[in-house]
Amino acid sequence: MKFPEFPEFHHEAMATTFALVIADQSPDYARQAATACFRELDRLESELSRYVESSDIARANRLAFGETIGIGEDALHCLLLAADASLATDRAFDAAYASERAPAQPADTPLFTLDPAAHTLTSHTAQLHLDLGAIGKGYALDRLAAVLADWAITHACLHGGGSSVLALDAPAGQTGWPIGLGEGQHQRVLSLTRCALSGSGLAVQGEHLVDPRAQTSAQRRDRTWALAPGAGLSDALSTAFFIFNDAEVAAFCTAHPHVGAALAHADGKLVAHGALAALLA
Amino acid sequence: MSESFSSPLTRRDFLSTSAKLGAFIAAAPYIARGAEVVAKADQLNVALIGCGEQGRILTNAALKIPGIRFKAVVDIWGYNRTYAERLLKKFGHDPKPYEDYRQMLAEVTDLDAVIIATPDFVHAEHTVAALKAGKHVYCEKLMSNTVEGARSMVHAARATKKLLQVGHQRRSNPRYRHAKDRIHLEGRLLGRITNIAGQWHRAVTDDYGFPNGQGIPEAKLNQYGFANMHEFRNWRWFKRYAGGPMSDLGAHQIDVYNWLLGCNPTMCIASGGVDYYKTHEWYDNAIAIFEFPTKEGTVRATYEVLTTTSAGGGYHEYFMGDEGALKISENPKYTKLYREARAPEWDKWVAQGIVASPTSGEGAPPAVKPWEKVGVKKLGGPAKASTVDVRETAALSAWDIPVTLDKAIHQPHLENFFDAIRLGTPLNCDGESAFATTVTILKINESIAAGKKLTFAPTDFLA
Repeated sequence: MKFPEFPEFHHEAMATTFALVIADQSPDYARQAATACFRELDRLESELSRYVESSDIARANRLAFGETIGIGEDALHCLLLAADASLATDRAFDAAYASERAPAQPADTPLFTLDPAAHTLTSHTAQLHLDLGAIGKGYALDRLAAVLADWAITHACLHGGGSSVLALDAPAGQTGWPIGLGEGQHQRVLSLTRCALSGSGLAVQGEHLVDPRAQTSAQRRDRTWALAPGAGLSDALSTAFFIFNDAEVAAFCTAHPHVGAALAHADGKLVAHGALAALLA
Repeated sequence: MSESFSSPLTRRDFLSTSAKLGAFIAAAPYIARGAEVVAKADQLNVALIGCGEQGRILTNAALKIPGIRFKAVVDIWGYNRTYAERLLKKFGHDPKPYEDYRQMLAEVTDLDAVIIATPDFVHAEHTVAALKAGKHVYCEKLMSNTVEGARSMVHAARATKKLLQVGHQRRSNPRYRHAKDRIHLEGRLLGRITNIAGQWHRAVTDDYGFPNGQGIPEAKLNQYGFANMHEFRNWRWFKRYAGGPMSDLGAHQIDVYNWLLGCNPTMCIASGGVDYYKTHEWYDNAIAIFEFPTKEGTVRATYEVLTTTSAGGGYHEYFMGDEGALKISENPKYTKLYREARAPEWDKWVAQGIVASPTSGEGAPPAVKPWEKVGVKKLGGPAKASTVDVRETAALSAWDIPVTLDKAIHQPHLENFFDAIRLGTPLNCDGESAFATTVTILKINESIAAGKKLTFAPTDFLA
């Protein structure tokens, strides 16, 4: 992010770089708050990354069929959010898509269940493979916003690895945070507050997006964006929109008017739905 | 052009973003209700004294152990205390919050144990009080920032006949225990250990601050031994409260030196200084040399803790012997075994599950994802089996430790403590053995200050 008038802080976590821009605070206070955020970010990575041996997600991925483990507050809530996103998108987003489903297991039954009261996760497959890569960074941004709220900092913009931006309140005297969407001559700059925008595509990690429903690489080649109230949700939905066909994206936004979608076409032109349609009109 | 949504995100209601999707969490097929499996008789009631970052790590680990019930949380800072209280309530606990540990010990009478995660300079005060109140104690390392403080903790445990476990959690880590018991002692795969090199390299970090309106009045800070809010938040860097990076980071690893070798050093010489930070008292970079008198001969060891760079390979302990070497860390990516060419083949140890062929750690190929298994690109060219490349000396063959830590990092050490209470299981790090490590660590700082080599007498390590 480039907002030269405000202090900006960076931290590497979750295999990418996070950035915080904090407005309307003294640089020292902003730095202290950013330090608190980044400590929280490191903690979240230790609980949510499947690459961290002792994380809740790595532990879940080692469960045998029917086994149950205790999980922490963040793994529980991130997985609940992931479960909701999976249900709402008819598994276009699915954090467990790489799991091995038994031949006799119906496709519409979950491969894991959560007990929120007991903070436990139970595997219903011989090889659960949870991957929060398409929701964890956004979830982390939501949590960092909560840390900033503890510090009474609401005028800030948070960035997770170039794929998700969480805009909080705008800097004093401004209407929003300028956030770019689209590319080249078709790029648009939105002015956003209190919402998150996430993008998905193939430019950075190549063919890394898989259609959980077909278990094949996604058919779409051009980028998608999702606008949502929170970054965990926008992160997951941008992936789902990449998997959806255009009609499914439009239908989803009609059913969820607080959500927005933008789809890049081969010529670079943008087609917007839902809450993003008005912004890009 | 501005788009607003109604409510800002907070810790308490961030799930509201999920609810806005329209999905109904309680009806989701992902939700299940489990049964309480722990019998009341097995329940242990615990209190946490010190609800900061380390206290929270221990709490989260303890919450994953069946039958642990938090009855109280203590912290002089309401901000941390409230956080711990809220976290525990989410797990169905109902802890009473206290500012003063003395009041807590007096009022919460059904405690079995106390977990202490306060700054080092009050470990002795808190531990001794809890032991004398009849509670078993799990106390974070370093035991104390003074030898006398640590000694008082051992004496109190002896006098009260209560358990004292000190938080050198690597001793309960199954990978470390496998390395010591199976690889080193049983298999003798390292041969004679001659050297150890250890390190913790950490990037520059900013000082901690605190949210506006959350400061503790100076009079109260003084009452609890702190000079001001800055020192309260950054106590690890000040000499009156702690032992600096050699104590915070080095103590974990040098404890492993003592533990795996089964002996304490005879001498140390160290160098360090406040080379970088302007607001700290403790050495930001320190390097120490030790001699250990093992039965097989002297082991020469180095250790360095750097807090100004993450370069140089993270954190590990590297035990080097004439037949093999063990590089071990809490982080498995820094863990590896190496066999010297002169050593017998390790095939039988592979068959017995003592070591494993390389699959992970440094230099291992990236994991193949399920959807990447199909259509893997084949490399062209002739097979190279019949050719010999003549270059530099071949690298040592690298092997893995076939043990996974399938729990939160601190969980096995807490489990050992709770098993000791319930079942009489021996503690993995009682006060007596942690005292020896404390003496070792404090002597390093002493050597830096004195600018000379210092020796240990065997009696120095006896409390």
